[in-house]
Amino acid sequence: MSKRTHAAFVSPYDVREALERLEQDGFSTGDVEIRSSAPLDHDVFPERHAVHSRMPWMALTGAALGGLGLFSLVAWSSSVYPLPTGGMPIVAIPTTGVITFEGIAIGAILCTVATVLYECGLPGLWSAGTGPLDHHLADDHVLVSVTCDEGASTEWAAKALETARE
Amino acid sequence: MTVSARAATARSHEENLIKPLTAFRPKLFVGSLISGGVMALLFYSWGYQIFNDIGVAGINRPVFWGFYITNFVFWIGISHAGTLISAILRVTQAEWRRPITRCAEAITTFALMIGGLFPLIHLGRPWIFWYMVPIPTYRGIWPNFRSPLMWDIMAITTYLTGSLLYLYLPLIPDMAILRDRALKETPKTLRAFFFRIMAIGWRGTPQQWHSLEAGIKAMAVIIIPVAVSVHTIVSWDFAMAIQPMWHSTIFGPYFVVGAIYSGVAVLMVAMYLLRKGLGIGEYLSDKVFNNLGLLFLAFALLWGYFTFAEHLTVWYGNEHIERLVFNERIFGKYSGFFWTMMVTNVLIPLAILPFPKGRKPLGTAIVGLAVLVGMWIERYLIVVGTLSYTRLDYTVGTYAPSWTEMGIFVGSIGMFLFLYFVFVQTTPIVSIWEVREGHHLEVKAQRQALAASREEP
Amino acid sequence: MTRWGMVIDTDRCTGCAACMVACHAENNIQTVGEVEAGKGRAMHWIRIERYYEGEFPDIKVRFQPVMCQQCGHAPCEPVCPVYATYHTPEGLNAMVYARCIGTRYCANNCPYTVRFFNWFSPDFPQPLERQLNPDVSVRSAGIMEKCTFCVQRIQGAQDVAKDEDREVRDGEIRTACSQSCPAEAIVFGDLDDPESRVSEFAEQARATRLLEELSTEPSVIYMRGGR
Repeated sequence: MSKRTHAAFVSPYDVREALERLEQDGFSTGDVEIRSSAPLDHDVFPERHAVHSRMPWMALTGAALGGLGLFSLVAWSSSVYPLPTGGMPIVAIPTTGVITFEGIAIGAILCTVATVLYECGLPGLWSAGTGPLDHHLADDHVLVSVTCDEGASTEWAAKALETARE
Repeated sequence: MTVSARAATARSHEENLIKPLTAFRPKLFVGSLISGGVMALLFYSWGYQIFNDIGVAGINRPVFWGFYITNFVFWIGISHAGTLISAILRVTQAEWRRPITRCAEAITTFALMIGGLFPLIHLGRPWIFWYMVPIPTYRGIWPNFRSPLMWDIMAITTYLTGSLLYLYLPLIPDMAILRDRALKETPKTLRAFFFRIMAIGWRGTPQQWHSLEAGIKAMAVIIIPVAVSVHTIVSWDFAMAIQPMWHSTIFGPYFVVGAIYSGVAVLMVAMYLLRKGLGIGEYLSDKVFNNLGLLFLAFALLWGYFTFAEHLTVWYGNEHIERLVFNERIFGKYSGFFWTMMVTNVLIPLAILPFPKGRKPLGTAIVGLAVLVGMWIERYLIVVGTLSYTRLDYTVGTYAPSWTEMGIFVGSIGMFLFLYFVFVQTTPIVSIWEVREGHHLEVKAQRQALAASREEP
Repeated sequence: MTRWGMVIDTDRCTGCAACMVACHAENNIQTVGEVEAGKGRAMHWIRIERYYEGEFPDIKVRFQPVMCQQCGHAPCEPVCPVYATYHTPEGLNAMVYARCIGTRYCANNCPYTVRFFNWFSPDFPQPLERQLNPDVSVRSAGIMEKCTFCVQRIQGAQDVAKDEDREVRDGEIRTACSQSCPAEAIVFGDLDDPESRVSEFAEQARATRLLEELSTEPSVIYMRGGR
């Protein structure tokens, strides 16, 4: 029978201590969830909780795709129905450049947001906010939740403001 | 102050931010009602114009563009307040940005929505505006991407999409905070449901924070060149035409500077009103006004410099048609407008902003209002001043706005206020988590200083 | 290749305005009434500009009929976002009414101010609607329009010539303004045909173009200087 234990901490430095104890007790990082209402400083976590993001690269990919996409649209759509205006070439590079620039920008923007949502696992509309201690997040406390066997030690939560289990 | 006492004050300040969202505030309600009524004027006048044809506006030949394009440039200019300023401050990691990013980004989004309406209002046949949208249709013909108006469409779409997302991304964690509160205190209310939807299931794990912050950082970097491109392209609507005092290479940077100038002006006025109306002086502190006031001053000087450079070259070049437009602007028919603009945009800012006592909330708000008037006049002068004079003397004309055009202008101001009132009542106007993050960083710095002092003998 | 052009001899022009009337009749141009005309919304695809030289009583009046110059490098064309105006292979500055959404950018960018906007839909009270030219569409509100070099007459003549399996002859096409000019000040023809009358005029020393310094390459040639 497994249970889930939650503890709310006031100070991020108590969180670090709790995480270290959990590590000593042999919990893997996958079992431990840390939640906060503001980004925590990286020196709060032990090394194993490292985070990663594909961010600048995904933005660049989006930029390349967007720029290429709009450039092709302009070049293709101007040539399939060629109408000369003002003595300009059908695909005029200077004017196409302006549009391509906007394509680069919108591609990067959309790709950035898509990446953020994907990496955050969002949207997951009903997956948060109903935990027993979730309201503590609104008070700028840090929540640590652990999935463990019934009767496992909760000593790590000793310094916590409040502890609850499900 | 101890850490816990500090946290307690921070919580009580946050209550001031959350109150307009959870409690009925008569002032805000009446404000929304009145501004909503004024907004209705815009849609009434626009409807009147659509049913009675574009001729009900005062535009004519040769002044084919009038109030509508003036307002278009004016509102798009204002939209450079938020996103651009907040992006620059984020990229440079200016700590004092934390309380102002949200209210500035909201200005951008709403001003863009309104600015984007004006080209549609101004069309002769607005119901087929979609001829300008690059979608495959039965018509078999695509838009002409060589037209500056197409660049406008692309740039404004990009900027609006970008600003909306850039406003929303940092809003997610705040909505999660509100959701967590609401689900505990008032579950099963519409408000709790709204926050729940808006927070889209944000948990606040280290991975989520990391991705979000990386995303915001990337957006800030992308949005700066986009904002610059938007007003550059708006200026190119004029500069690409071979009309006197339009066809100028300085227009791109000149318009960008003018846009940011008018944007900061709106931000100053909005911050003053928010501080007075919501009692959030702890966030929008004198320091913030002082710093933004310095930025404001810098843009006053920049704008003055660009205006001088632009007019000097025209005067010195002394081309017949340019000189005609120039003379009417400086000494002739439009001189009243021009010199008012010089007073509001250069004289008043330079009389108030250089002094620390002037960079208080009231001082900057007064300058902000003056600059708004001046920047509107600038666009009016550029649009109408040039178009009134034609190269063949026979067709010289004049322009006076009609009631429809005035109604739409006043209505657009009402629309901006209305959107802002609604925004203040649905979202915390100061980013809660970003301010918290600022506190955490301060605590960390204090601990490090303490640890360092202990190590010393 | 054909390149339509027009020669206007300002030394011959008497300023009688017959061309303006003929143009209105031929092209179904709406008359807007005095109130609207007072606002600067009068529509005349061709107008006669009057310039006065000297002091009264020793005064000379010069007339200059101005219509769309059908520029080779027209400033109005590239600024249209929906291709409502473009350049035809025959050198005409075509206006496609159905595409026009009324941004009025083309009119702003026209240095000759010869583009006209329909601020209201036209009203042809009975029995005036019976005199409408069936070859020309009536434009509704929100649409830009301008001189077409009587494109319906060009196409009509080209059809006839095609049926008879020959080229269009010089002088066969006459625009409404040229047809109605009692002083024969307006000549229409093919500028690329070295034998045509317009080409002959174009080579004369009196030939000049309006606002040539803008390099819009107009197809309308003004003759002036002789007495």
